[in-house]
Amino acid sequence: MLLFVLKRLILIVPVLIGLTVVMFVIARVLPGDPVALAAGPNATRGEIEALARQFGLDQPLWTQYFTYLSGLLHGDLGTSLSTRRPVAADIAAYLPATLELVFAAMLLAILVGVPLGLLTAVWRNRWPDYLAQVAAIGAISMPRFFLGLLLQLFFAMWLMWLPLGARLPIITIPPPTVTGFFTLDALMAGDFDTFRTALRHLAMPAIAMSLSPLATIMRMMRASTIEVMQQDYVTTARALGLPRAKIIGKYVARNAVSATLTVIGLYFGWLLGGTVLVETVFDWPGLGLYATRAILAQDMMPVIAVALVIGVLFVTANLLIDLLYGVVNPKVRYS
Amino acid sequence: MTSPALLPLTRRSLLAAAGAGLAAAVFPAPLFAQSGSAILVIAAGQDIPNFDPHTATGYSASFFLRNVYDPLVRVEGNPPEPTPALAQSWEVSEDGREYVFSLNPEARFHGGSPVTAEDVVYSFQRALRLAQGNAWMIRGIVEEDGIVAQDESTVRFTLAAPFAAFLQVLPWIFVAEKAAIEANLGEDDGQAWLMANIAGSGPFSLARSQAGTLYHLERVSDAWQQGGGNLQGVVWQIVRETATQRLMLQRGEVHIAIDLTSEDMDALEGAAGVVRVIEPEYRTFSIKFNTQHGPLADIHLRKAVSYATNYDAILDAAGYADLMVGPLPSTIFGHDPGLEVYRTDLEKAREHLAQSAYPQGGITLRMVHVSGLEQQRRWALIMLDSLRQLDIDLEIVPMNWPDMVAACQSPETFPDLFPVYQTANYGDPDNIAFAAYHSSRNGGWQNAVYANPEVDALIEEGRTQIDPARREEIYAEFQRKVVEDAPDIFGVLERRKLGMRDTVQNYRFTPVASNAIEAFGLSL
Repeated sequence: MLLFVLKRLILIVPVLIGLTVVMFVIARVLPGDPVALAAGPNATRGEIEALARQFGLDQPLWTQYFTYLSGLLHGDLGTSLSTRRPVAADIAAYLPATLELVFAAMLLAILVGVPLGLLTAVWRNRWPDYLAQVAAIGAISMPRFFLGLLLQLFFAMWLMWLPLGARLPIITIPPPTVTGFFTLDALMAGDFDTFRTALRHLAMPAIAMSLSPLATIMRMMRASTIEVMQQDYVTTARALGLPRAKIIGKYVARNAVSATLTVIGLYFGWLLGGTVLVETVFDWPGLGLYATRAILAQDMMPVIAVALVIGVLFVTANLLIDLLYGVVNPKVRYS
Repeated sequence: MTSPALLPLTRRSLLAAAGAGLAAAVFPAPLFAQSGSAILVIAAGQDIPNFDPHTATGYSASFFLRNVYDPLVRVEGNPPEPTPALAQSWEVSEDGREYVFSLNPEARFHGGSPVTAEDVVYSFQRALRLAQGNAWMIRGIVEEDGIVAQDESTVRFTLAAPFAAFLQVLPWIFVAEKAAIEANLGEDDGQAWLMANIAGSGPFSLARSQAGTLYHLERVSDAWQQGGGNLQGVVWQIVRETATQRLMLQRGEVHIAIDLTSEDMDALEGAAGVVRVIEPEYRTFSIKFNTQHGPLADIHLRKAVSYATNYDAILDAAGYADLMVGPLPSTIFGHDPGLEVYRTDLEKAREHLAQSAYPQGGITLRMVHVSGLEQQRRWALIMLDSLRQLDIDLEIVPMNWPDMVAACQSPETFPDLFPVYQTANYGDPDNIAFAAYHSSRNGGWQNAVYANPEVDALIEEGRTQIDPARREEIYAEFQRKVVEDAPDIFGVLERRKLGMRDTVQNYRFTPVASNAIEAFGLSL
């Protein structure tokens, strides 16, 4: 199994190199003039060229590429053309916010979606099942940013239960950084007030993000539960007179979850890439916002860095899911 | 200090929170009030990525620099008038080439050392050397060796040529502490250090900075500036969605929202505790023609299009705005209110079309617009509709802004019609005249193709002439000539739209950089 993990980790390298090549080629093919844009409306041609020289953009593409790669080996992700800030520092500041949001949304989706899927399968074709199915289709088809706006209107404007956005109120100083997740960091610092506040700020964006994966997980879980329940060994267990709760809890759930795990893995990457609109609505200072600004300015260093980070996380998440198969189902062998 | 208008909100929200069995810590703004200090919260859409006073640009950085650094001269009021900042007085020689500034002896940097003439000279030279940020405003006007410290508190500027707008550009060239920067030069003239550190003398300094979220400025405890309002601090809170900015303003979570749309302003009409500021500014929105290449190089066709345009529809689609009367904003110095401009007149449009190379129309023009900008898309549709009357077809192409900038590089790649916003960065007609109509700007998006030697000469004369009466004549002539050339469809002047809680006191609108709010004079 160790060999399997190692192999998969080594496989990340060509994937990432491929990503950088693609991004560099895209940067060259795009018709825009990011240097003129970064130099500002009143820059002269000479100043624009000076800026290009300063950032090495006057060099041939392959020289730029190898400079970038050698920097990458030292953990240098380059410098943003439009803000002149080091990209690695920006990623370090923005990534934890996105991860916290994605993890919270995933957790919510799993904790609600899996049991709900199981229950709707058990109550198949009865009214709770129909109700859940209709709600799931609604949840999948609703755009997340629109859902976010609706939630804001309802919970922040009318009920005034939750804050409109941001990770913490402006007067609250974030807890000392350990993980970069405000909720976890507050807990570690023993600051329960800040934890509660951070959680309240996290609630709406996490709900807005989680509904679509929640619904998909629920439907997936329902389908595979139904399939498993028709297997011979379940019929056997029933014939043997085992209690229904035990059959479902011990045999059915376990086997049904395997298929759902794949969906969870894929959704992780989907959420990472798709935080942009939710982050905009809730002013969640994450990677999505960072990437949008960079893309609009054709500021390629941040764009490449974000693509790399999402690539690494996506591959890692799928590796973890593959390992989880083994935990859930000991029959799985890695080779 | 408790702000009264926020109290009812607090009470209501506390009731709601208590009713729901939730903690009371819901609303940040009232909590600021409870903490006993007046802290102004501004909701804005843009991050502040760069604190370097000599390279940073954009309205968010302008806000930061205006409050943390001092210039020699500030502007105030409408129209903007120069008022003392670091310089308590100044003298201008008769030929307009010598400016002597006497610094306020009280002026101190945050570290305690006095602001000296040496710091002023150093700052201007650094700005010119780096040639980024606002340096374009003084480029070619001041040379590095033209700035001399006469003594500890007197600076003499000898301009390369007289420049009538000199006092108007000075508010945007900030003075930084020479010793502090020189101690941290690095390899980039202190740029990296100034990205994160402050070497200023302004009434505020940076207390807390969370990239992408907020910037908290606090009043310098022993600031040298006298008077001003009661603010202890200002928070620049980044709220990207304008609808969210509006909701936060309504809830009392922020005191000022600066990026509101016309729809937001409509929704705020009659909102309790909210004051709307809707003022004409120096921000133009027009459609530029390709005067060098393609069918519109024909002046009669340009005039035909100018007359065929449906200006009422253009104004309708623009929201809170006024139609432009010629190339200059109608409230700026030198604007000629009697200027005759193109208005919808199909007769005249057909006359000019008949004199053009395409008397029957039958051609297709290409108009681009920034994809996703609804207002630009609407304008493109209005043009489509207007041109149809001349039997001219319009191909509408949405593009990303960087691609549009790239298209400006040559007349061959520049589209036939190109909509663009332009903002005057200082309160003088020279700003717009030079950026938008001088041929030296060709190849950039502010004026990609238009070139007329006579207009160039007028612009150059206008900026070097210091007699106001003569300047008015020059700019009147400039406006007539430009209108005669019809290089643009002169569109609208957008009004600045701010939303403000009624607890904010002493706010005075200035038409330049009005969303980079100067906090010193404000009270809560």
